[in-house]
Amino acid sequence: MTSVHPDQIGCYTAHGETHFYSAKRTELDRAGVQMARTLTGYAFQPGSYVLTVSVVQEVVQFAPFEFALQVLGLYGTNADLSPFDAGRVEALARQFDPVAICGVGNEVLEGLKMMGHSAADVFKGRTIWARPDAFEAVNAMPGVMAKKVALVGPALALECAQGGVHLDGREWEVSVENKELLLSSRQFRIDPIHKLKTGFTGEMLAGPCSCGNPDPLMRLDGPSQ
Amino acid sequence: MALNEIQYPSILDPIEAASREFLDRHQEASLAAMCEHAVSNAPLIRKMWADAGVRPSDIKSVADFREKVPFLTKDDIRAFRDAHNDPTGGMSVDSPGQTVSVGTTSGTTGDPTPVPNWRRTPAEDTYARDHWHIGVRPGDHICHMLFTFRGGHRRRSLSELGIAEICFSISPFEVPRIVEASKRFRPTSMSIFPNPLINAFEQYFEKSGEDPVDVFRSYKGAIFGGEPLGERQKALTKSWGLELFETTSLGDVAGAAECRQHDGFHAYEDIAYIETVDPITAEPLADGEIGELVVTSLVDRLSPLVRYRTGDLVSIDRSPCGCGRTHARFKLLGRATDQILVQGRSILPREIMGLVEKHSETRANLFQIIRPSREMEELKLRIGYDVSRLKDSEGALKSRLYDQISAAIEVPLVLELIDEQELLKLGPPHKIPRVTKI
Repeated sequence: MTSVHPDQIGCYTAHGETHFYSAKRTELDRAGVQMARTLTGYAFQPGSYVLTVSVVQEVVQFAPFEFALQVLGLYGTNADLSPFDAGRVEALARQFDPVAICGVGNEVLEGLKMMGHSAADVFKGRTIWARPDAFEAVNAMPGVMAKKVALVGPALALECAQGGVHLDGREWEVSVENKELLLSSRQFRIDPIHKLKTGFTGEMLAGPCSCGNPDPLMRLDGPSQ
Repeated sequence: MALNEIQYPSILDPIEAASREFLDRHQEASLAAMCEHAVSNAPLIRKMWADAGVRPSDIKSVADFREKVPFLTKDDIRAFRDAHNDPTGGMSVDSPGQTVSVGTTSGTTGDPTPVPNWRRTPAEDTYARDHWHIGVRPGDHICHMLFTFRGGHRRRSLSELGIAEICFSISPFEVPRIVEASKRFRPTSMSIFPNPLINAFEQYFEKSGEDPVDVFRSYKGAIFGGEPLGERQKALTKSWGLELFETTSLGDVAGAAECRQHDGFHAYEDIAYIETVDPITAEPLADGEIGELVVTSLVDRLSPLVRYRTGDLVSIDRSPCGCGRTHARFKLLGRATDQILVQGRSILPREIMGLVEKHSETRANLFQIIRPSREMEELKLRIGYDVSRLKDSEGALKSRLYDQISAAIEVPLVLELIDEQELLKLGPPHKIPRVTKI
């Protein structure tokens, strides 16, 4: 019996519209193994904690990241990307002392402020992968290693330890038209895409990255809308 | 052959219909094994047992367990956490290679408590059984609404069964997408479907003119959770063609949900051992008596909660259920810590819910009991109302609420009305603290 039934249906947003996106767990797992190559450059100690800030419908983008943490022997923990759950970000940072927090968006910054916490204090000494709407603010915080993370269609672009923004090159082919990044799937996927207009402007960069990960490098200029 | 043409069994796991004799023997064996494991691996349990002078070898029967094993509370876990700088509170077993991620509790009453997750958590097992009972089968879709703090994106218990999860936040903003998914994928179930989302659906249907019966026509049920289900929501969702199955937490050990008999929450007895004790004296109570629910995990080696006092007031029934399953059910009356005594009369938030929701302006059921102490001379309620639905004046609404609640509760009453948006700021979208000191 052949089944093309999805395991998870998440979504992606491009040009202000949100679309359902289906995936098999095997697709997410293999993307996670690839993503571990970006994370290895950070040399986080196995057993360290990494906090992911996301929402459930971002499963297609963040399940690979979480699987990569497992592959590397790190402990993942989670908070919702919501001002209401920013208190959890502070509590988990205090309790677990995570080496990194991934997915920080403006909602977290707003929520921390609303609850009387200093985001700079919560993030100090950690690697913070910030979304485009929060990157500038996080990057200005002293003592914080600000890195970029972005949901580019159904893929997760992640900045490595050497400052390169990588995207899984075995899984996705990225092309540029009118400065906009277009995404096409290269492998068998339950929901294949071809030249998806991601809504991100940017540029593909030539040459290998000094982090040792051969995945394509890009310059992300942010959402174009 | 299509997936749904296969004749699947009516229950997911045969243990759900095991005989009482088998369950009792299984529990006795599992309790002994879990006690041994917990004392060997969880520092807090080891300390508590040492303080009580009890050893795992002393536990040879359920009777021994109930007579000798010390109780564990959330405060014990928090105190150990603070004293030992251990985020797991001395309760969690750090097992490299087994701990897949670390989830946390809601944190409604303080710092969230860490809950290490194995590949498949007990709660995932119980929810899979609950969805299966509702009628979800391989090849189906369900709408999956949750918070990521429960375990992130690693959940795969349903996909392992061939059931696709369509993922959403528990947020009113997701309602249009849930409607779209319901019409496109025709899911057979959804969880968790809480009060605020029902209210958001109601507003959406009122404004959009969409036919809820058509939107939900593929659903065989929906798992409702977060807070008790009120009569208004029950009637409303019934008119949409949705049968709701209430679920609750089994003391951070697993989930427990109603079956089609709607006669209590099924506590899966291969996953947890449940008992009741007097909430004040901690004396063991017989099944059927109202007491505080105490839960022991029988399966979770990473978070071996043993005799964990949940703070929930329940009555347990271990007689076979009409649904064909044999595991215990319990009726939930409310939180022991939420209980107040007004001139000697016991009052719990669940009782107030059925009254507040009857008014259009307060249909969202947002209220708090102000409880500076457990025993009070008058009932103080803070009730949130939807300013846009005000029919007359705030004073008139207050008068209506006062008359109705006073007549039902029959104790002196003090009401405070505020904009419900102010109450919503006090908590995540699914629930607010129902009892507050000020």
